[in-house]
Amino acid sequence: MLKVENLYKNFGNIAAVAGISFEVKRGEVFGLLGPNGAGKSTTISIISTLLPPSRGQIFFEGESIFENSRNLRQKLGIVPQDIALYPTLTGYENLRFWGNLYGLKGAELKKRINEVAEIIGLKERLKDKVEKYSGGMKRRLNIGAALLHKPDLLIMDEPTVGIDPQSRSHILETVLKLNAQGMTIIYTTHYMEEAEELCSRICIMDEGKIIASGTKQELVELVKERTRINIKLDNISDNMPQVFKEITGVLDAAILDDTVTLFGENGDILLAEIISKVLEEKSKIQSIDIHKPDLEAVFLHLTGKALRD
Amino acid sequence: MKVLSIIIKDLKIVLSDKQAIIITMLMPLILMTILSMALKGSFMDSDDGGIEKIPVALVKQYDEGADSKIFIKTLEKRLNIDISRDEVNPEEMFFGDFLGNEEVSKLIDYRVVEEDRAMELLNEGEISAIIILPEKYIYDMKINLLTPFRNNVDVKVLTHPGRALAGEIVTSLMEAYTNTMSSVIIGKNVLIESASANDMGGDGFDNIDEIMEGMTDLVAGMKVNINNVTVEGRRTIKSSEYYAVAMMTMFVLYAAGQGGRMLLEEKDNQTYQRMVVADISKPHILTGKFIVIFLIAAIQITIMLAYSHFALKVNWGNIKSLLVLSTASAFSVAGLGIFIGSLTYRAENYRLANAFESVIIQVMAFLGGSFFPLDLMPEIIRKVSFISLNGVGLKAYLKIILGYGFSDILINVSILAIAGILFTLAGVIIFNKEVSKNA
Repeated sequence: MLKVENLYKNFGNIAAVAGISFEVKRGEVFGLLGPNGAGKSTTISIISTLLPPSRGQIFFEGESIFENSRNLRQKLGIVPQDIALYPTLTGYENLRFWGNLYGLKGAELKKRINEVAEIIGLKERLKDKVEKYSGGMKRRLNIGAALLHKPDLLIMDEPTVGIDPQSRSHILETVLKLNAQGMTIIYTTHYMEEAEELCSRICIMDEGKIIASGTKQELVELVKERTRINIKLDNISDNMPQVFKEITGVLDAAILDDTVTLFGENGDILLAEIISKVLEEKSKIQSIDIHKPDLEAVFLHLTGKALRD
Repeated sequence: MKVLSIIIKDLKIVLSDKQAIIITMLMPLILMTILSMALKGSFMDSDDGGIEKIPVALVKQYDEGADSKIFIKTLEKRLNIDISRDEVNPEEMFFGDFLGNEEVSKLIDYRVVEEDRAMELLNEGEISAIIILPEKYIYDMKINLLTPFRNNVDVKVLTHPGRALAGEIVTSLMEAYTNTMSSVIIGKNVLIESASANDMGGDGFDNIDEIMEGMTDLVAGMKVNINNVTVEGRRTIKSSEYYAVAMMTMFVLYAAGQGGRMLLEEKDNQTYQRMVVADISKPHILTGKFIVIFLIAAIQITIMLAYSHFALKVNWGNIKSLLVLSTASAFSVAGLGIFIGSLTYRAENYRLANAFESVIIQVMAFLGGSFFPLDLMPEIIRKVSFISLNGVGLKAYLKIILGYGFSDILINVSILAIAGILFTLAGVIIFNKEVSKNA
């Protein structure tokens, strides 16, 4: 359905996107996973025809989107990372405006607004001004505005950033429902769990490049021997990852917030030595989780840093 | 349809912004009401729309009898001329011929009082000006009118600071009077010199009073130049009319400032990008914004016209002229708004739009006469006033109120329309350059 070939985008001397290629198949949820600044949003902006590339080509249904953007724009729904709505208008007025722009009117528009309101779970709040909505409700309406014209391809750029767990869960359910109805979705996120839960195929991006791609199983195969251990400490020093790396069997270590993430070949055996090191560093353990190999491990394995660094 | 959606959406946003409504719609109504009341004294307000007489005090510092006696003695002693049948009367010329003149008496209502009382009346605001005829006024004037000599006569005019226009009128009238008298005196000197040159001897002086009498008919029939009082013979502008126009032409510029923010606001909200993805073309977006600014300006004008008509009793004159001029005004404001909007969008900050509202509008308002009537401004400001859109509009609206025809405001309408077109074109060029760079 969508094919990205050798795409580059430079801002001055900075390469935001550095030669990426991937293909999105009809009916799948395709994930772009990477930390902030990896180049996901720039890639999305180019696909959405908002930014011209420095180099490269994108084909939608076999046709270059730079030669004919109309076909893509008519079939594309975009959910920007920021809330692209009018806060002083009501939810209903916002949906009506965006529906109008996609050529919907009269009874058809009214019907679609009701259907979309049902999908995003805001039917009861449509008469309220958007500025009175919670962050999660705004995010849901932001999605709703992209669904009115029943797009074939929906691009969602970090749609769950900064919202409550309930709204997040609702959004993830919505994505799965829309995909079940046949909608193709490109989903960008830096939340590994979301990519794992939603995406049939995933591209992992870092510093403008695709460092790995495939299904979740294919990606995890890259680190199948690895166990991820998250240790929450009350006192973390910057050299803590280095201290843990001195333990034989620890392959990687990184800090994320108040947690040190370690990757080792056999987590159960390493545990005793890890605890001993923590005590040596005069820190206290608040919690320890041991996980099976996952995308976080893949990312750390490939880049040497935690996904949300 | 898509442009219409953008227009409806933007109008809803603007009309739901209470702060913007207060600045653009309510503030001018309040200001035009306050200013028209407070500055009533600076204008020639009267209920019938005609000219209300200016109250003036006249102070005589001279002694008419004593001056005449000294004059006769001086003539007998120096020139050996018997002027016992002196019929030239400067007091009669001033009070009868000048102040009694049909046109002057329509403008000035005078009373003769002592100097101290006159000052009291001026301070209390009972009168708008004092005219002081100096000591030896009669003597000096007779010397000037009947002999080859010329004495200096300083007539003083003191005006009330809060009644600038009335003061201007009185000063203007007195200048007209003294100019006329100077002409008479110069004419007299020419006559005397001609008589001497032709060796007419005493015969020339024998008839001088008769000749002077004939010449002073000039004073009785003089046409006083009062263009700064009435506009080419039409009625005067009332303070309510002036400030209704002044505030309207000034505050309508805020629509351009408000519109100037719209494009960058759309971009900051990501809604501009969303519109582009929804396949809304840039011309559609700009057209929508242009019409929105035009409609905001038109709504402002309509509200202010209606309010001033019903609340302040302003008679706006010919409806067709008013409609055409208001359309041209809103058009020029819309063009200006697109220009500011494109520059603001390009700069990616609101400094220009803010500066336009907080500085440029104030300067334009000052230059265009929205704060003070241009007639009271220095010459240099009057000369540069044409650069302000509100000044161009203000002059044309005042003409309509005064009953001028459409042909008299055609130039103003054309300037506003051309300014609107030029601003729009500049805005489109700037916006397209930016868009081609970024999207």
